Amino acid sequence: MSDDTLGEDAAVEQSSPATGRSLPARYVAGLIGLALLAVLPVPSLLGVESVTLFGTVTITFGLSSYQLLQVAGAFYFAMFAMSWDVVSGYTGQISFGHGFFFALGGYTSALLNLTYGVAPLAAIPAGVAVAALGGVVIGVPALRLRGPYLSLVTLVAPQVLLSVFILFSGTFGGELGLSSPDNLLGVGLGNPVLVYYIAFALFVAILAVLLAVTRSSAGAVFTAIREDEDAVAAAGLNPAKFKTFAFVLSAAVGGLAGAVLVHTPVGNPQPSQLLATQVSIEVIIAAILGGMGTIVGAAIGGLIVYLLPEYLNTVEYVVPVLDAPVSEIDFLLFAVIALVLLFVMPGGVLRAALRIARDRLSDRRGEGVAADGGRRARTPVEQVRERWRSAVERTLGRGPDRERRTTDGRRSDGRRADDRDANRGHENGGDTDEH
Amino acid sequence: MGLNLLAVAAVGGAGAPAAILQSGVSNIVVNGLIISALYAVVAIGFTLIFGVGGVLNLAHGASITVGAFGAYYVARVFGMGAWAGLVAGVLVAAAFGAALYLAMIRRMEDEPIMVMILTLVTAVAVEQFVLTVEGSQPKAIPALVGGVTRVAGTNLQHNLVVVFAVSWAIILALFLFVNYTDAGKALIATSMSRKGAALVGIESDRVNLATWVIAGALAGLAGVFLGSFQTAHWAMGRAPLVLSFTIVVLGGVGSIKGSVVGAYLIGFLEVITTRVFDPRLQTLVPLVVLLLVLLVKPEGLFGRELAEA
Repeated sequence: MSDDTLGEDAAVEQSSPATGRSLPARYVAGLIGLALLAVLPVPSLLGVESVTLFGTVTITFGLSSYQLLQVAGAFYFAMFAMSWDVVSGYTGQISFGHGFFFALGGYTSALLNLTYGVAPLAAIPAGVAVAALGGVVIGVPALRLRGPYLSLVTLVAPQVLLSVFILFSGTFGGELGLSSPDNLLGVGLGNPVLVYYIAFALFVAILAVLLAVTRSSAGAVFTAIREDEDAVAAAGLNPAKFKTFAFVLSAAVGGLAGAVLVHTPVGNPQPSQLLATQVSIEVIIAAILGGMGTIVGAAIGGLIVYLLPEYLNTVEYVVPVLDAPVSEIDFLLFAVIALVLLFVMPGGVLRAALRIARDRLSDRRGEGVAADGGRRARTPVEQVRERWRSAVERTLGRGPDRERRTTDGRRSDGRRADDRDANRGHENGGDTDEH
Repeated sequence: MGLNLLAVAAVGGAGAPAAILQSGVSNIVVNGLIISALYAVVAIGFTLIFGVGGVLNLAHGASITVGAFGAYYVARVFGMGAWAGLVAGVLVAAAFGAALYLAMIRRMEDEPIMVMILTLVTAVAVEQFVLTVEGSQPKAIPALVGGVTRVAGTNLQHNLVVVFAVSWAIILALFLFVNYTDAGKALIATSMSRKGAALVGIESDRVNLATWVIAGALAGLAGVFLGSFQTAHWAMGRAPLVLSFTIVVLGGVGSIKGSVVGAYLIGFLEVITTRVFDPRLQTLVPLVVLLLVLLVKPEGLFGRELAEA
């Protein structure tokens, strides 16, 4: 029942006592990654942006101010992706309109600053509070609605908000959005390194908090809800409480990311940046491609998804059939690439990488095939799928499912019973399966 | 959905006098009847896929765009006339539905969540593709028939009459098909229980393919109609898709009758909102209705009808 990253961890240590003493390799990799991000602006800080060796070879390793700001923007998007992962990746309540929370935070903070002159440091907590309230508004219906119906609510929520913004465009600026509010701490374009470090610090803090929450017992309950809500209720825990908590936490973090973002030079309170369907799609793709239900995967996915179009923008290659330069069709390319990746590795990049790395390691150590013959693990996506299927079948009134449920619960569902037997088998076998 | 656009198109349309702009009860009734029939066609396609396959097809709006631009190319660019355009639009959109199912959905059938995400991304890709190739400028598809008749104080474009008649013919044909033919009964059987259907020899793959093709064709037809009395543009599928959510949830998932009733409720609500109150409320009202229905009566008015029919 524990969260699957922890499960992997346990499995790795179990199967390879040699690594039991030191940190698992993937933690080291993560820490190295964070350290690299931490020193990224140092060359530009020192003014050393390139070194010329032997007078011929020039190595550029610094980032320009513009690039630093882009990476800072990517940090905020990664925070947003992590917030999606808390509620969707862990509890399985897929949100198709997470931009709702991003925009609530961003717009509240910006409006307070622009209209009433509230300082950003005071306006941001207000934005977080309003976003959290939005989490309650979406989270409470989520207690009644399941599967696709909940997704419809989340899909529609940002559209309602956008319609309200357009209806009262005098206050909310309509489709064009508001003008830029004050920068946080008065740090503007002139100091990209500071902008970068503020974003980085917030990113690390949120990463730490969300990792702590999802690895705590509450996180275990979130995962359990994703796997089987009825079982959670049967265990005497109130799923409603935990689902609402997940929604509010996710909304607050998303709102925080949005609220701080509008006070940086990279972000503005505009629907296209905070509320558009594109934003909500991108965050889903980011979290799923990174690895749903891992937080770290969502963070990595968020960084990549934000920076990929920025990179595509710089490519000057002209696509032959469309006769358009890559920079003009970046979102089209992004959608196509995402489609392909979703097809190739639905479990996400992080899981795929971990699996490959683990296979390599176990090969090198001369370990044989997993005890269960390498049964494919159930990814969070598959678990959510199962929840959905039963929700859909209940809605459509498909007979067998209802009968099964009423006679002897989930036990008689052949598939699940098989799964369970397989689990029992591999627990005994002490395998390397992620579960 | 631009009813205000509709009025503009009527004003600027091929020689049609600016009569639709006249407000009044007959005007509301006529426009409500026509636009609702069109919404019903879109929503039935959406609800068939959900009822039979158990998945939400978020690329349904993209099928509308595909159909409209298919018709635009044949009718305007190749100059083959409006009716050839209509046929082409329907065929292209049906082929798009088949391609979606065969290339993507068939492998993900048991993963409604992945289907939702994949179709959403597909919809975005189609929109962006059309935007890249055609630009953001709206295109006009020629009207199927010209001319205007005066009915109960309202000038009525013959084109809209054709839209209404064809839409209703399709709705009735589908209703008869689903309820009275073997293929239609196979469809209902699959929607009730895939296992049960398989036991009596129904191949769910074929039934699913058929639903995707039918839904694509319906969306394509709606796309051509929308393009012929409004305009065709890259984001034209969005509003009908959102309206389909509302209609399908309101009418009850998987129910043709529910979709028609839902479409008429939503269609008239929209016409009344835009004509009597504020046109700016147009997008907001159906969304609010959707949220209310989901919160108060999530099973809709005619929920599970398809499963019991």
